[in-house]
Amino acid sequence: MGLTRREMLMAGGVGSAALSSAFLASGLAGAHDETAEFVARHTGRKATESDRVHLIMPAVFPTGYTVPMDLKVDSPMTEDDHVKRIRVFAPQNPLIDVASFNFVPQRSIARVSTRIRLAKPQYVVAVAEMSDGALLMTKTWVDVATNGCI
Amino acid sequence: MTTPTPRVLVPSGATKGEVFQVRTIISHQMETGLRHDVQGRVIPRKIINRFVCRYGGVEVFSVDLHEAVSANPFIEFYLLAMESGRLEFIWEEDGGSTYRLEHQLAVA
Repeated sequence: MGLTRREMLMAGGVGSAALSSAFLASGLAGAHDETAEFVARHTGRKATESDRVHLIMPAVFPTGYTVPMDLKVDSPMTEDDHVKRIRVFAPQNPLIDVASFNFVPQRSIARVSTRIRLAKPQYVVAVAEMSDGALLMTKTWVDVATNGCI
Repeated sequence: MTTPTPRVLVPSGATKGEVFQVRTIISHQMETGLRHDVQGRVIPRKIINRFVCRYGGVEVFSVDLHEAVSANPFIEFYLLAMESGRLEFIWEEDGGSTYRLEHQLAVA
């Protein structure tokens, strides 16, 4: 074996660097998959992330008791193409269901505002159920300073 | 707990085909069932669990509310003006009580 101590150390260093970057990458991918998995578990189906769903919430809010939430889905709301329902989840709350909004084509617009409770900083998730059966989702990070669920 | 009082803000009139805003609020504790009293007993859940809006007798918008909707639930939504008619707003509470409001909308 022609390996010197220096070569051994170098190889080890490179190896561990590769290992930790692999860990980082899987960690990030994991965070993304976590939301998708969460949605699949609670809706029974796979949802696609879509920029047609807009969940507008403050990035930072002082209290978790009344966090404003604006929700909108780009949709013509015709008989053939409309939003049936939007479900909102707070995955880090003790009870994850927030609300579900039901719309009627040609009568209501897929847009709603309310105020919600959040227990801790987290991604709030909105899942829109379209008339063709597709599930479209989006998530928004909200940092709250106090627990609004106690 | 005081008696929940619902309030709505709706335009009195709209033109046909116009989208109009409806703002509703009901004074309500929205007791989550997660809190304990001083003796350590769970305070039972009591929330508004459903809100329905009917327009001319037809359901046009509804919400299923869970524990994570804030106290004094505020809901703002948008409807399409079709014909003159009555708007009904119904809040359903755990235990079966309901609270109602009505509004006459004139569509020109």
